Amino acid sequence: MDCFTPAIAVTGSALISAAGTGLKPALEALNSDISCLKPIPAELAAGTSGHCWGKADQFKATDFIPPLKARKLDRASQFAVATVGMALAAAGLVKGEFAPERIGIALGSGFGGIANASEFLSGYYQAGLPGLSPMLFPNTVANAAASNASIEYGLQGPNVTFIQRFCSAESAILAACRFIEEGRADIMLAGGVDELTPQMIRGFAVTGQLQRFAAGFGEGCGILVLERAEHARRRGAAIAARLTAINTVGFLLPGAEQQGINQLLQTQKSCDQLFFSGPEPAVQPLLGTVAAASTRYPGRIIGSSLAMGGTVLGLLAASLQPGEQGLQLSASPEGPYYAMSVTGGDPA
Amino acid sequence: MSLKRIAITGLGTINGAAKTVPAFQEAILQGTSGIAPLDLFDVSPFPARIGCQVKGYDPADHFTRRQISHLSRTDQLALIAACEAVAMSAVTGCYDPYQIGVCVGGGVGGMLHAEAWLQGELSGKPGRPGLLRTLLPDCSTTALAHAFGFAGYQGNITTACSSSGTAIGWAADLIRSGRQQAMLCGGADALAMLTFAGFNALKVVDPNPCAPFSAGRQGLSLGEGAAFMVLEDEQAARSRGAQILGYLLGYALVGEAHHMTAPEPSGESAARVMNAALSAAGVDPGRIGWINAHGTGTPLNDVVESNAVKLVFGPRAAGVPLISTKAITGHCLGAAGAIEAVATVLALNAGIIPQTLHFRGVDPECDLDYGHAGSRATDTRIALSNSFAFGGNVTTLVLGSAALGQEVC
Repeated sequence: MDCFTPAIAVTGSALISAAGTGLKPALEALNSDISCLKPIPAELAAGTSGHCWGKADQFKATDFIPPLKARKLDRASQFAVATVGMALAAAGLVKGEFAPERIGIALGSGFGGIANASEFLSGYYQAGLPGLSPMLFPNTVANAAASNASIEYGLQGPNVTFIQRFCSAESAILAACRFIEEGRADIMLAGGVDELTPQMIRGFAVTGQLQRFAAGFGEGCGILVLERAEHARRRGAAIAARLTAINTVGFLLPGAEQQGINQLLQTQKSCDQLFFSGPEPAVQPLLGTVAAASTRYPGRIIGSSLAMGGTVLGLLAASLQPGEQGLQLSASPEGPYYAMSVTGGDPA
Repeated sequence: MSLKRIAITGLGTINGAAKTVPAFQEAILQGTSGIAPLDLFDVSPFPARIGCQVKGYDPADHFTRRQISHLSRTDQLALIAACEAVAMSAVTGCYDPYQIGVCVGGGVGGMLHAEAWLQGELSGKPGRPGLLRTLLPDCSTTALAHAFGFAGYQGNITTACSSSGTAIGWAADLIRSGRQQAMLCGGADALAMLTFAGFNALKVVDPNPCAPFSAGRQGLSLGEGAAFMVLEDEQAARSRGAQILGYLLGYALVGEAHHMTAPEPSGESAARVMNAALSAAGVDPGRIGWINAHGTGTPLNDVVESNAVKLVFGPRAAGVPLISTKAITGHCLGAAGAIEAVATVLALNAGIIPQTLHFRGVDPECDLDYGHAGSRATDTRIALSNSFAFGGNVTTLVLGSAALGQEVC
């Protein structure tokens, strides 16, 4: 039912994470099982201790964006602009050399805009009307990151942003694939972006989320370039992997949990590489459902965010040898659940 | 892949002009605006103190105390509107629960409550952490899915003012592509200080009720509310004997890639999304009877949208009324597209073109038919509904009346 016809090719990917800028440092950290998480400063953790976060503290916006422009962008938009630029380059796409109306962007974002919203409102609560900043308000919307990236690179195709718990990026990737499948776009940039701010950590601390998701919060951005395989071949692009199916269910209905899992996994019983995304308690019902030669949990290494599905898919695609079968399973507490099937390389 | 026609089998809404679908139909037919002084939070420091708030709303009329503590104002409005839509459709139990999904277009989510927490933090009097529990707009999606037992697709689109228009289009796509058999879709957004102060900071709020496409307009009037639809494959809906209330014939979404807040001035991007929606629906532009405009009432938006209509319809543009129902409901941001889609279906079925309220005089740059003279009868069966947003996220829905029946577009 959910197999894309034909399969969607991954022709580029890029990411920013706690491991550093680019796919390579994150892949190295994952392969060597070295955690990039660091202790959260005690003053942010509201009296609790022992929590870690995955700040992308090696990222410098001005390495990618002129300083004056960078100042106008919220951190999530800076991540997105930088990562989309790297992903386009990885796919061999040069601005001005593609039809702008045929390339779009679909991003997931867990907390996009909230940091700006907090700063904007703080100005008002502390100083009244004179404290309102018209510069801050536009980037309080969650779609700011995707939109700023679209403005930067002239992406005039479909443009959409999802917030859907720990499956925000997976929601965006499904939409991107569908837009390609039905011909709304030839190429889609798809993935997720999230930022971490002290105010957010404070909020996580007081609501008990730091304890609940003790494995560590992360930030960054993971973007894939998706297109029909035939389109990629026609323009001579290398195909890193093929995205063959995406299945999802909203939640596992009490009493019919197995039916939901069956719908998610269809007939797949095994794969070569299995990657998980989302908090471990949430993915618990999916553990052991598919046999895998290798199972990885990138969140343990670079921290977990609501929209890290793009980052995980980028790492999975990069880990596959040609012909190897990969599966990414993602889950949020209370749902939704996603299963994304990937094949390494280009069999053609 | 079969090209299924998507039927609308349930409608629901609660907004500042009406708390049910029948009341909303009456407000549209009569041209009754809900814009009035706000009292949800302190607006006294601002020059514009009006908006379209859901007045006389008591959560206890709808929810238990425990539910109220777990649901933001946005979530509550979403549940009320969705209940009406689901009840009208009688869809519950007709499909495998994993084949019915939920897609919501959101805006600020529980920001109103999170603002109270932030205020407490800043003043050194920490608020209840529970105020942050429902901050994200996807809380509405999950609340609806669990409330109705719809275990299929779950997604929340957040593209500012086009969120719920896009959510409806995407929901239809999930059915058309065979991924789901039915979808509950729409949007919800409550008033909050963030958006009220934000649009005031941008100086685009009219101190008087908004006057779309009119001379002397100074901006928008903010509103709040929720609207939902139940969508199904037409043949499946007919097979189960559902009443078909209208059709979602097609949609399109594109990025203007121009500016975070300003629309692309020539109207070419807005025209592109309308043309793409017509093409996706397979509908000839000659069949469009009127357009439910984005029509915020800001000086720039109304001119750009008028230019776009001229680009799409050419010499016929003056004969395609461009109506803004935002003068009735206020601009409900993330919920606007869904509220306007419901308004469009109600007007199509009632056989009227609604009026655009609060006319203050002719603007020479807005030289089309905006329905300022009042509502009028029509036999049109297809209309467009536009939703344009910050970031250049623009969406158009192509909606058909129930009378379209089996007719081929």
